[in-house]
Amino acid sequence: MEPTLLKARGLEGSRTLASYLSRGGYEGLRRALALGPQEVTKSVIDSELRGRGGAGFPTGRKWTFVPKDHPGPRYLVCNADESEPGTFKDREIIEHDPHLVIEGIAIASFAIGAHTAYIYIRGEFVRWANLLEQALGEARREKILGADVLGSGYSLDIWVHRGAGAYICGEETSLLESLEGKRGFPRLKPPFPAVVGAFGKPTVVNNVETLACLPSILTRGPAWFASIGRPRNTGPKLFSVSGHVVRPGVYELPLGVTFREIIFEHCGGIRAGRKLKAFFPGGSSAPVLTAAEVDTKADFDACAEAGTMLGSGGVIVLDETVDMVEAAANLAHFYAHESCGQCTPCREGSDWLVDILHRILAGHGRAEDPDTILRICRFASQGMTICPLGDAFSLPISSIVSKFRDEFERRIAAATPAPPRKHPVLPWAGPRPGFGR
Amino acid sequence: MPKLTIDGREVEVAQGTNLIEAARLAGIAIPYFCYHPYLSVVGQCRICLVEIERQPRLAIACATPAADGMVVRSQTSSRVREAREAVMEFLLANHPLDCPVCDQAGECLLQDHSMDEQGGQFSTHMVETRRTFPGLERRLLGPHVVQNQNRCIHCSRCIRFTQEISETSQLTYVSRGNHAYIDTFDGRPFDDPFSACAADVCPVGALTLREFRFRKRAWKLRSTPSICPGCSIGCNLWIDHHERIVYRFTPRENPKINATWLCDYGRFLAESLNAHGPAPTFRDEDGSSSSPPLEETVRALALELKAARTLRVVASANLSNEELFLAREIFAGYLHGELVTPVWPGEPRRMKNGHGVWLASSDAHPNANGARRLGLDIVDESGLARFLYGAADLTVLLDPLAHPYLAGEEALQLLRVGHTLVFSQRQHAVCEFARWTMGVASLACNEGTFTSGADQVQRFQAAFAPPRGALPLWQWFTLLARELGLARLAVATPRDVFQLMVSQERSFAGLAWEELGGFDTDSYREHQHVG
Repeated sequence: MEPTLLKARGLEGSRTLASYLSRGGYEGLRRALALGPQEVTKSVIDSELRGRGGAGFPTGRKWTFVPKDHPGPRYLVCNADESEPGTFKDREIIEHDPHLVIEGIAIASFAIGAHTAYIYIRGEFVRWANLLEQALGEARREKILGADVLGSGYSLDIWVHRGAGAYICGEETSLLESLEGKRGFPRLKPPFPAVVGAFGKPTVVNNVETLACLPSILTRGPAWFASIGRPRNTGPKLFSVSGHVVRPGVYELPLGVTFREIIFEHCGGIRAGRKLKAFFPGGSSAPVLTAAEVDTKADFDACAEAGTMLGSGGVIVLDETVDMVEAAANLAHFYAHESCGQCTPCREGSDWLVDILHRILAGHGRAEDPDTILRICRFASQGMTICPLGDAFSLPISSIVSKFRDEFERRIAAATPAPPRKHPVLPWAGPRPGFGR
Repeated sequence: MPKLTIDGREVEVAQGTNLIEAARLAGIAIPYFCYHPYLSVVGQCRICLVEIERQPRLAIACATPAADGMVVRSQTSSRVREAREAVMEFLLANHPLDCPVCDQAGECLLQDHSMDEQGGQFSTHMVETRRTFPGLERRLLGPHVVQNQNRCIHCSRCIRFTQEISETSQLTYVSRGNHAYIDTFDGRPFDDPFSACAADVCPVGALTLREFRFRKRAWKLRSTPSICPGCSIGCNLWIDHHERIVYRFTPRENPKINATWLCDYGRFLAESLNAHGPAPTFRDEDGSSSSPPLEETVRALALELKAARTLRVVASANLSNEELFLAREIFAGYLHGELVTPVWPGEPRRMKNGHGVWLASSDAHPNANGARRLGLDIVDESGLARFLYGAADLTVLLDPLAHPYLAGEEALQLLRVGHTLVFSQRQHAVCEFARWTMGVASLACNEGTFTSGADQVQRFQAAFAPPRGALPLWQWFTLLARELGLARLAVATPRDVFQLMVSQERSFAGLAWEELGGFDTDSYREHQHVG
């Protein structure tokens, strides 16, 4: 398949505006400005583009949720917070083709009637924030952005806003809180951001990859885009493959390829001739699939049928040497560290999972631990929390426990009783760390 | 007006009412920790989960507005019960469960819920070492609030209070997730003028009041509705007392005045209600003093008052409407004395009502408006000084705390001229030379009405009978009236005085004693101690 999103990868000086224009850059934006917002939205709906950030919500439909009669201002936010473990696709796009993202933002902003757009970029992405700033500078100088976009009379400004290093700020509502300068706490929905978003105004939040799809939808037409992949799962998708494969990296493939093809053809199979044990199909928040499920198609609907999700397309491959209890503990630690602490089930549950899993790893497992883990996961997911972080750790960890329960039981069977607790009898008898007055 | 069914009970509620309030109207208690009727809804604690027909997931009642035709199940749904039990298990996983030594016990939402819905039969799968916050178990956050972070359930009520109500934004979360703790924004003392409300809204024992903690178990306290004596705003409050000792004030809900808040100044006046006046004393010309029995005192007073050729009376805006009325009728009307009411502006106080509007105090008295309604002569400091410079045989001070000027050197010199009768709730410099000192019982023993800043007549009740020797001022006046032969005023209760005022005073016409003030003592909110 001919690459669309990673067209510029490997080209000399691909990040410059000159290179981008020589490849037909900003043609999509020109066409969008000629078509008008309604037609642009219709094209995107017809292309059946679904959000690439993780949820897979139809992008065109999301735009239609913005109230038509709102006096404005409206905002478009490009979510470049890419913090899902195992995901590094947006970074790749920005690295090679920042103008592709900017053009996508301009098209989407025009479609929803926004005159200000923000790129919320993960705080650690200093290099990529700088690349975007450079590209934005070029676009402003060449009057592609500003008061008069490409001579159409439409005005647009794009600002880069760097996050401060919280996983939760990739969630759209806490991203908006963070953008407003507040603590990154997810908001209760409804109201949805399309109605009450950044600074209380209608806001659309789209992923970098989603926005990067827009220029080609406009230049080559929605029918071309819809012809890639399967019905309802159309278009090219970036898969960032990491873990025990021979050639980890970012691959642009049509939606609907099998994970077998991704892992064994494109990535050259498992390293050192070992066997595949399991893989996360869409970042660490997606329930794990076993080697037997490797023929699952890599698209939104097929993954949902298999009881998991395509998520961000971050495929994490685990070979036979991986201890699944350790993998679960690793995941639990990450989510406990990143839980914002608002909702009881997520705050308490994630930390509790860490305690249990670390105890099992220390050789002090108890026979009831797998069931306790499943119970915690059950009550920390499925709407028990404001944002999906509860699901994000519950689903993968419960899938690990149910699919690899024998590994847990083997560890627990070999366990020794835990030593007596070491915490002080009186809570104030222990050493005091530095905090407090 | 949406009509919905909750646990099989139909109820019609106003548009925009959430399911917790709708259920309350239907007589069903949905538990909650982070929800507070006067704070924004955050939906954090997840204990208020309910099942709504045709919705696959459980919804949080606090953030779900009632809709027409909605069928909600709370207690009757096994899914809801199971989920709430799980939430309790999560909440208690790291809670220290130190109820026996926790001062919040008895008014703790977590404890109440555990006892009500789980019958105290708590079980958990938790076998890990509990998370603790070393160094934050007993920390003075500010002048009044003591923090025990181990007990915190991260409901963020205190944080929202300082952001939305007191508008100082002093409190915040520090750190993240399960290790987040409450702290002041940059480590400065939590000196918000409403800081004690943060402890009020705390559903557990994480924030308690330095002034109250370990003084009395919550279930021992009796609550009597009253009005704050601190300033002219007239905040509604409960006097919490036990065995004739006042332990604290807690806010009594009134959306028009103080929602469920009290300022720290007003709240910590509570202890001053435990003073019930110096012992009644007669001081002779030669300086010897004696304490005659009550009947003798009243008789002697009446004689003294009748004998005075020129009589001047300093009333006080701290007195109730009834007391001011009696004072006017007896001293000005019958005895033809000259009567003034000093009003002192005091420190400016403010209070946010339930509609988010700031109210400001006009003076430091709870009843200056009552004095105005009764047409009394209001004077400021210089007016009071001028009044005292005028000569008189006999000066009567109805309340030496009516104005700080009365404790000054100048006033004390002026009051030494001629005889002085003092009715006082507390020991005062005037009592040292006054011919007669009469002990007055505090607000806790008094009954009557105040006219608050917004010209609202509000009633307060007596918490307990006064100790021997002290009487509420209205009772001194009725006794005097009987002795002076004023049968009309020699009535038995403040209610009777009020009826007299209603029939006689145009400014009080049409008011009914029973309808003054919110006396809904059994309201669910009160039980839940949300305020």
